[in-house]
Amino acid sequence: MNSVGDIVKKPAKSTIGRSLKEIFLGRPLRIFISIVFVGIIILPIFYIAMTSIKIPLEISLSGALFPAMGITGVNWINAFRTVPLVQFLFNSTVAAVLSTVIVIAVAIPATYSIIRFNTGGWFLPTWIIGTYVMPPIVVSIPVFAMVKLVHLQNNLIGLILVYAMANLPVAVWLLDSYIRNLPKELEYAAWVDGYGKFETLLRVVFPLIRPGVVSAAVICMILSWNEFLFALLLTYSPVSNTFTIGISRFIGQHGMQFGEMSAAALAGIIPIYVIVLLFSRNVVEGLTRGGVKG
Amino acid sequence: MSTKSEKYSPKLMVLPAFIILLVISLIPLIYVLGTSLTEATLARPFDHFVWFEQYKQVFADAEFGISLVNTFVFAISVTTIQTFLGFVLAYTLWHERRFGGTLRTLALLPLFTPPVAIAMIWKLIYDPNSGLANYYLAKLGLTSAPIAFLGQKSLAFPAIMAADIWQWTPFCFLLCLAALQSLPKEPYEAAMVDGASGWYVFKRLTFPMIVPQIIVIFIFRLLIAFKVFDLIYMLTYGGPGNSTDVASFYIYRVAFGQFNTGYGAALSIVVLIVISVVVTFLTKGREALLRRIGQ
Repeated sequence: MNSVGDIVKKPAKSTIGRSLKEIFLGRPLRIFISIVFVGIIILPIFYIAMTSIKIPLEISLSGALFPAMGITGVNWINAFRTVPLVQFLFNSTVAAVLSTVIVIAVAIPATYSIIRFNTGGWFLPTWIIGTYVMPPIVVSIPVFAMVKLVHLQNNLIGLILVYAMANLPVAVWLLDSYIRNLPKELEYAAWVDGYGKFETLLRVVFPLIRPGVVSAAVICMILSWNEFLFALLLTYSPVSNTFTIGISRFIGQHGMQFGEMSAAALAGIIPIYVIVLLFSRNVVEGLTRGGVKG
Repeated sequence: MSTKSEKYSPKLMVLPAFIILLVISLIPLIYVLGTSLTEATLARPFDHFVWFEQYKQVFADAEFGISLVNTFVFAISVTTIQTFLGFVLAYTLWHERRFGGTLRTLALLPLFTPPVAIAMIWKLIYDPNSGLANYYLAKLGLTSAPIAFLGQKSLAFPAIMAADIWQWTPFCFLLCLAALQSLPKEPYEAAMVDGASGWYVFKRLTFPMIVPQIIVIFIFRLLIAFKVFDLIYMLTYGGPGNSTDVASFYIYRVAFGQFNTGYGAALSIVVLIVISVVVTFLTKGREALLRRIGQ
């Protein structure tokens, strides 16, 4: 580290004994920047929340942030009446939850085997990363053809399978750092005690990586809930339309009003925010552990 | 448990994942490669083998060229801005103890908002009559007539980028913050004893230590940005003209709008090659840079 040496050699200019924090920005500035940051994050969401309770006439006249002509529930009622929103939200939930169960069940043993037993050498990890990097549109033609081949188009099962497969690289990537950092000694002890490899995974490794599993499951679930391209290609009717595609079709076909659109968008956002807030610690940890390992 | 089954259990553990990778990436790639040599349509796959005719068309396709350039302009612009803003925010809030946790939680919200909902929100914000942007621009006296942000060639792309920056800057912030927090403490204690100035510490200590991780974050985000589809589909549908057309969206229109899967497949292969070249170039560039700064 030559940079440290340079600093030590540099003659001291200011008084010795300042606190470490003073090297960085002062607290008032930090708080100001925090407030601006939070404001920018919140503003667009707050804006559609306000729009969803404005009177439709006011929405068509003005873009002011706060309602000036009173508030109403009519947009919410209309959103649920004109659009099969409940059906869409139900489909999204089923697709997100079931695809996550599959992907986690596949990803845990696979990641464990790759890290602990070096299964697949360099090739398998590279293949997984490559699959993640590849834009989904590149495989959209064959995925469409395969789903049609097994007659699962316009069927939630088709979508669930595609989501489970598409999220596999993400799940492996998120679980990776949790499994990598486990002390091997525990597993060796389990083997000495006569546990098989599957038993060790289930009884010793799994309880230890539970935070990682939660984080991977939550993130995969949200990614499936938010997914758009495959839902666009593989579902044609409200029977299997997820929230994202269902709502976008309705805007296109029925010229939905902004008030209803805001209410409908919020109906799809709120469940995600509840889950994110409930598991925020796990999600932040999972994302950042995976993200900066290099 | 017999030793024989134990010997194969690592392979058994990856088997389902292996099958999934075959079905979701290897078989599709072979299929796309095969289809790209034909005049297939959505209704008639593998129709009429034509060798590399489709590829010849790709290189003469000006519209595809525009969409490819747009993809790069979009991905590089948003990634640069997001990484920069994310780093500045993370650096500022690095030692913020009290609100640190709250900020990290809030930063997750834009990242996980469904892109379709993000598109709806920004469509509303940009609306000439009902939109927040025009209302406050007029109120501040900055504009005399409402601006159709998404309807003007010069403004549509920056408008989409703004929505993307709102969504992804918090992600870069989280990763940069984690990178900063993983830095060793000892050099800073030495700097403190020495009484080095804040800027000097940043220039000689923080920046050299953090740069390798910032590059990883940049590459990671760039690769995701290349996939952009939802925002374009929802906000402008590639328009006005084809000013916001991107590669993913163009392939979608060719393969599923015009049902021309043969040509769509050829486009897909070309896009995949371009992205592979970029990835190789970036990872090699990162390694060269790390060697130069001696890490």
